[in-house]
Amino acid sequence: MSKRREFLQTLAAGSAAMTGLACGGGGAVTASSGPGGGPPPPPPTPAPTSPILVIITAEGGMDLLDALVPIGGANAGAYQNLRPTLKVNPAATTDLGSNIGLNNAFAGMAALHQQGRVAWLPGIGMPNPTLSHFLAADLWWQGSAVPGGTGWMGRYADLAFARSGDPLRGISTDGLPLGLQGVDRNFVNISSPDTYRFPSTRSEWGSVEDPVPLRAGFTDGFALSGTPGSSGLKAAMESGQLYDQAQSLFSNLIGTSRRTPSVPYPGDATYPDATLRDGYRHLSYQLKFIAEMVAKDLPSQVFVATTGGFDTHSNHARDFPLLLKEMGASLSAFYADLASISTAKGNAQDRVLIIGWSEFGRRVRENNGGLDHGTAGLGYAIGKGVKGGLYSNFPDLTSLDSNGNMKFTTDFRNLYATVLDKWLGVSSRTVLGGSYPNLGFL
Amino acid sequence: MATFDALKSTWTPDDVLHFGRRAGFGLKPEAAATLAMRAIGTTVDAWVDGSADEAALTAALPLANVVDYPGYGNEPDQWAPHPFNLRVEHPADLTEAQGYWVWRMQYAPNPFTEKLALYWHQHFATGAKKVDNIPLMLKQIQLFRSLGRGPFGDLLLAVSQDPAMMIWLDTVQNKVEKASDVPNENYAREVLELYSLGIDNGYNQQDITELAKALTGWDYIGRDFPDPKNPYYYNDAEFIVYRGQANPYPDHPWLHGYAMLPNQRKSGTFTLFGVTLDLGADSHYGADAIRLILTQRAQACAGFLAQRLLHFFLSPELPANVVNDFRDVILANNFAIGRSLKVLFKSAYFYDPAHRFALVEGPVAWSVRIARLLMPDLASAMAPYLQNPANPPRFGAWSAFVNWDTSGFFNMGQDLLNPKGPNGWKEHGGWLNSDTYRHRTRTAYALAAKEGRGDDHNHVPRFLFDTDIHEWFPATPASALDVFNRLVALLQPAPIPTGLRDAWLTLVWAKPFAWDGKPATEDAVRRLAFLILCSPQAQQH
Repeated sequence: MSKRREFLQTLAAGSAAMTGLACGGGGAVTASSGPGGGPPPPPPTPAPTSPILVIITAEGGMDLLDALVPIGGANAGAYQNLRPTLKVNPAATTDLGSNIGLNNAFAGMAALHQQGRVAWLPGIGMPNPTLSHFLAADLWWQGSAVPGGTGWMGRYADLAFARSGDPLRGISTDGLPLGLQGVDRNFVNISSPDTYRFPSTRSEWGSVEDPVPLRAGFTDGFALSGTPGSSGLKAAMESGQLYDQAQSLFSNLIGTSRRTPSVPYPGDATYPDATLRDGYRHLSYQLKFIAEMVAKDLPSQVFVATTGGFDTHSNHARDFPLLLKEMGASLSAFYADLASISTAKGNAQDRVLIIGWSEFGRRVRENNGGLDHGTAGLGYAIGKGVKGGLYSNFPDLTSLDSNGNMKFTTDFRNLYATVLDKWLGVSSRTVLGGSYPNLGFL
Repeated sequence: MATFDALKSTWTPDDVLHFGRRAGFGLKPEAAATLAMRAIGTTVDAWVDGSADEAALTAALPLANVVDYPGYGNEPDQWAPHPFNLRVEHPADLTEAQGYWVWRMQYAPNPFTEKLALYWHQHFATGAKKVDNIPLMLKQIQLFRSLGRGPFGDLLLAVSQDPAMMIWLDTVQNKVEKASDVPNENYAREVLELYSLGIDNGYNQQDITELAKALTGWDYIGRDFPDPKNPYYYNDAEFIVYRGQANPYPDHPWLHGYAMLPNQRKSGTFTLFGVTLDLGADSHYGADAIRLILTQRAQACAGFLAQRLLHFFLSPELPANVVNDFRDVILANNFAIGRSLKVLFKSAYFYDPAHRFALVEGPVAWSVRIARLLMPDLASAMAPYLQNPANPPRFGAWSAFVNWDTSGFFNMGQDLLNPKGPNGWKEHGGWLNSDTYRHRTRTAYALAAKEGRGDDHNHVPRFLFDTDIHEWFPATPASALDVFNRLVALLQPAPIPTGLRDAWLTLVWAKPFAWDGKPATEDAVRRLAFLILCSPQAQQH
């Protein structure tokens, strides 16, 4: 283990990080024994013929160090010194090897790790990092060698989705981040399956009876408006038309009755921990909704969920464990739920890959009760097709940049390249505009 | 300033309508025709100054919340005029606060005051979810009404010391108890990045660190405090710097300070933009650090404001020289925002036809504007009530609008008073995606189709927006085309192609036209209004 770590560190400290090269592939926990000395986890399932990708972004800048905690070596000393009040006790972590402890507050993730189904990417980030949330999030979403006005998933949609008549291929359950906007195609976003039809009225009656003929007039609004002459009109035509195309397809497929998940999700009355929320559009709500869409065989290939609240400048000790718990519990409920879903193209757990990131990590040194903006963060991939383990070198906490932030170790575009090449089966070079090596977890 | 030198000498009703959409929440065609007869200069001055009498608005407030409080058991529902519940002891909730502010936008005699407050709310985006105190949120909006036209430096300092903002971006958490404590830099970063200069525009990490140091120990004291058992419930708050002094208001608590500590403020000096100041009384305990942004980075700050203001009031896509010219207008006016906007609204450039309908309208302003155009004004809305207090005023039932739809504004992508982050909402094209568009059509239905539901125990139907189509047509239409033309004149979408118009008329008026007062005729009028409002053209302003 230590030899591999040294190898990874050498590579990252050299040219690899600066040029965006991967630290390629050696971290899987698929050797003769499993993590923690248990039996080896089952091998990953082969890539499915109809893969589904679920992307989860955690907005606000999710702290790396209190999630994957340095519990040994020089890093542990530096961590404990710079976080005198916020530091996580190693006893409250699960050993991932390589001197890293997984915070047990990250509910359910240790179990997924022990099944060998989580690839961890501590230290993921970008060259010339920005400490602005909004610029960083946009750079992440653009995911390009040369950032332009489109996002990496939007460019994937340009490549893989039909220009029209295919509105449900990519679905966001909360908003339309830059990453989902292509030149010709955007993702549709559907925040709730309720009353997803046109006209979508709020109550049992209005003065207009028999609204069905209105649908033709609504469609005419896009069909007969010609080429939009302004950027605003273009945005309205694209978004309105996507809704118009999606609404009948979606409402037919989703039906009127809601699916009952096979396992309770955080916030459900039957969930064992009543402290976990399920607010409208909370991550748990979004993942439950995505499971329903998968179960109902929507022709969707990519789902995007968004969670937030990670901007823990203050009250970090109070808020961060809860944020981790909600995220981990939602992820593990979703993963378990997928196992029970038979789709037309196979078992859902075999078909789904989950990846996630945040726009940056947080400052190593605490302020008085919180953590300010930082650089390197935590990326992850979860799935039955994942070879679990560490696929990024942990940042060196004894060698910080001039602002006291970590130097990133894995270029974020390597994660995208791995997913595009090995899961979605398209050329990452085409989508990313540059060559980024695969990380090896697929 | 070249771009804005040429004055608009006379204006047409279409110019006035453009002005009304941008500098307010729209004007009915009749009002625009009247204003077009007046001189542009004095009209713009009075509009921006907000010189109309607001007494009628204040008088109507106790009746303004037309909402269906559910009755229990045999009690009837209380669909009756109420004041908005905006004090913590009720307790105030976000939906009523949203309803209150939007009601004000709909009926304000000085719509520019509310439109500018909406601009500043977008600029200094502060969210109720974290602040968790509705009176403090509304205190901040009131700050925008009172200082929004004034020198930006005064507003920036007032916002920096505004309790809602101090909770939102952790100024109240920026406390140091011992020399080694590290200040919290949340506000220091965002005040530069989002509120005054723009990303990485004239500052660096060292400036952020120093500014955070200058703002340590800032706090406030809770006032108007109805429940002594719950120190977090108060209706007002007063800014103060905690330097170890005794609480000047023994009956009121320090809200975030810890009075047992000797000091929560750094001592010594700070250096910002190359200027070194003492952290104590000489720098007004850090307030001068906020002032330094404007004095040391005037060009960058004026340029940032020019970009933001033009994006909101004029166009999203302007050449750099135009933005620079407006920056110079702001500098020449010493950062007085009202005076700078008067220059904009009087310039020929503002009325260039290329700018008409060049902006996607934000969902709150869009909803309010449609309500203003389709519904009676304040005096007419009050008339039924004044005749007989058993009749509710015909106000837009905004709290019910928000409640019935879990949250109308949230779903349209502008959860008023509750943005997700300090960068506010992405404007223009960012307002629109397939989900927010969907929810705009829901709002369009509520407004155009007189959506209502149920009834109370007297079986009286209740409407969210109690519109009367006869008020939309001051002259009797002679044809379906007349109806269409009048609706377009009233609702003011971007130009609708004739092919689309004809397709709608065929769809809606299958029978020969007759203005006969029959339900089917009203139905057709409302369908047409609904289709217009759902069109891509109607999302522009």
